[in-house]
Amino acid sequence: MLVDAWNADNPDIQIRLQPIPAGQSSEEVLLAAIAAKTTPDICSNIWPGIVKDFVRAGAVLPLSKFADFDSLATSRFPDGTVERFGSADGHIYQIPWKTNPIMMLYNPKMFAEAGIETPPATYSEYLEAASRITADLDGDDQMDRWMGYRDIRPIWHQRRFDYYTFYVGASGGKTFFEDGELSLDTAASNIVFSFFRDLYEGGHFPLTTFQRNPVLSGTIATVFTGPWEVVWLKDNAPPEFEYEFAPLPRPDGMSESPYTFGDFKSIAIFSNTEHPEAAWKFVKYLVTREADLQLLEIGGQIPVRSGLLSDSLYVDFFDHNRKLRQFAEVAPYTRGVDAVSSLQELFDAVAQQFEAGSVYRVYEPEEATRRLVKRMRLIHDWGS
Amino acid sequence: MVAPYIIHLAVFFGYPLIFALVLVFHRWDIVTEMQFAGSRNVVRLLGDDVFFQAIMNTGLFLVIHIPLQIVVALFLATILNEKLKGRGFFRTVYFLPVVVSGVVITILFQQLFAFDTGFVNNVISALGGKRVPWLVSPQWAMPSIALMATWKNVGFYVILFLTGLQNIPESLYEVAETDGASQWQKWRHITLPMLNPMMVTVVILSTIGGFSLFIEPYVLTGGGPMNSTMSGLLYIYNQAFYFNHMGYATTLGLFFALVILVVVLVQKRFVETEAY
Repeated sequence: MLVDAWNADNPDIQIRLQPIPAGQSSEEVLLAAIAAKTTPDICSNIWPGIVKDFVRAGAVLPLSKFADFDSLATSRFPDGTVERFGSADGHIYQIPWKTNPIMMLYNPKMFAEAGIETPPATYSEYLEAASRITADLDGDDQMDRWMGYRDIRPIWHQRRFDYYTFYVGASGGKTFFEDGELSLDTAASNIVFSFFRDLYEGGHFPLTTFQRNPVLSGTIATVFTGPWEVVWLKDNAPPEFEYEFAPLPRPDGMSESPYTFGDFKSIAIFSNTEHPEAAWKFVKYLVTREADLQLLEIGGQIPVRSGLLSDSLYVDFFDHNRKLRQFAEVAPYTRGVDAVSSLQELFDAVAQQFEAGSVYRVYEPEEATRRLVKRMRLIHDWGS
Repeated sequence: MVAPYIIHLAVFFGYPLIFALVLVFHRWDIVTEMQFAGSRNVVRLLGDDVFFQAIMNTGLFLVIHIPLQIVVALFLATILNEKLKGRGFFRTVYFLPVVVSGVVITILFQQLFAFDTGFVNNVISALGGKRVPWLVSPQWAMPSIALMATWKNVGFYVILFLTGLQNIPESLYEVAETDGASQWQKWRHITLPMLNPMMVTVVILSTIGGFSLFIEPYVLTGGGPMNSTMSGLLYIYNQAFYFNHMGYATTLGLFFALVILVVVLVQKRFVETEAY
């Protein structure tokens, strides 16, 4: 829709929209395209964690070199964006486009049936709710309803939506690195491993793989997910299906922690473009206030924009979309991933320890954290 | 006259091999320039516990898979060699999984073997048994994969054994019968030795096939739980295409190729000696 509107207004710069070809991940597809020198001019769905590798490869243009970049940054970027998305060479190669904060989706009917009046706000409350939700409904001594579900296969990107999401919350908004140095908050890591350990030990999360959506089938009561779920459920859920969002549970004793992981996506221009100026013009168009409104209306995704909730253009939208408003409120407290090399392998290390420390409980959470730090250091030293 | 062969060898064997050897001493992530890494890749390999665990896992897979494969394939081939009604149909049925995509079969088994909701456990549970943690226990996961791989591939080896059985001259059995040999004696002293060349082929093919174990753990378990189904090939794939460590992945690949070569050579010698 945006592309059609642009093409109608700009006969001299015609844009051709192409979905990213199927692959394990869009990063994999883009890396292959860089190697084959077949990148598009612009990509609007880039994971910030991979941009450092693209910069090293000289595959993306420094957007901050465009004359009017600063005015765009001033008008759009929330505080701290340049620090978080900037490159070590002082340039900015990506425009953070959407935030995708992770929150807790829950099924209010299941909660009400279990006598739970408000969504759990702390780990203890979540575990208490889990003990009421998790049940053997048909009397065969096997659970067939659970509090939540995670894909437990040791796949690196899965751990962004459980361990890392909760780590960001438990650490008060920290990531793994500070000024390029590994600085894992070990206390927060222990707490998170311990929380998931309790969930798996209590049988509140199943050790299984679902082919059908377990949320829709009423098999699980909560899921940690992003705003994209709102649009997906609108298209796929039966009319009687009810759901709500709530902040992620926080560690006991922590007064408040609005922080969560955000699966940010950025826009970048690839350096093999023959039309850098035209590409830049289109990128600026993609992040206008009006385009951001369409991103909300069509995609149900939260743009990275300062003053999103106070801007008069979006007031009506958020008044009519209470659930997405919740995500917009959390957006300033979302944290992405660090701009370091070997990020996938670092998350793979998390996946290994998540299995050992939480799912299979081979060793204590403290030991899982100790091993995680050791492995992360080895990977980081190797990659740097 | 020999130019096409030389060109083919140079392009498809020589160049990749030389490039692989170069990569062993470099770091390369496909998109940036290669960096000389000296012996870092080799040093890392020697201290890489997960890779050696992956080799051991592959060994465990072979130990379960090969004997099971041979026993089941030989058993089925012996039955299908008899003049049974509808044997053409059964031969087709046993071969069917071989031609079905590995990913499709793996997804099917993911559903069958699911711990909480899987069909197999539901049946066991309905019969009063305890659920088996097929894919979610470090002890069970690899045997489960071996079971699945056997089910998928056995049809191919049935055909090989069937070919071997049909090539045994009938006269040998007639002579044995004249001498008063029992069914078991005929099978032990005629069928089995005569199947030896096919046995060697089956063992070597299933060993090489076993070393290339990839789709099953990739789709079913991601190498878990606790790396118990991490195969050598899956680990190399992860290093190459998840983490973009092309140099290190190549080092692992060459080492793994050497392991396969040694195992196959030892096995060939052992099987040939044993069977006679």
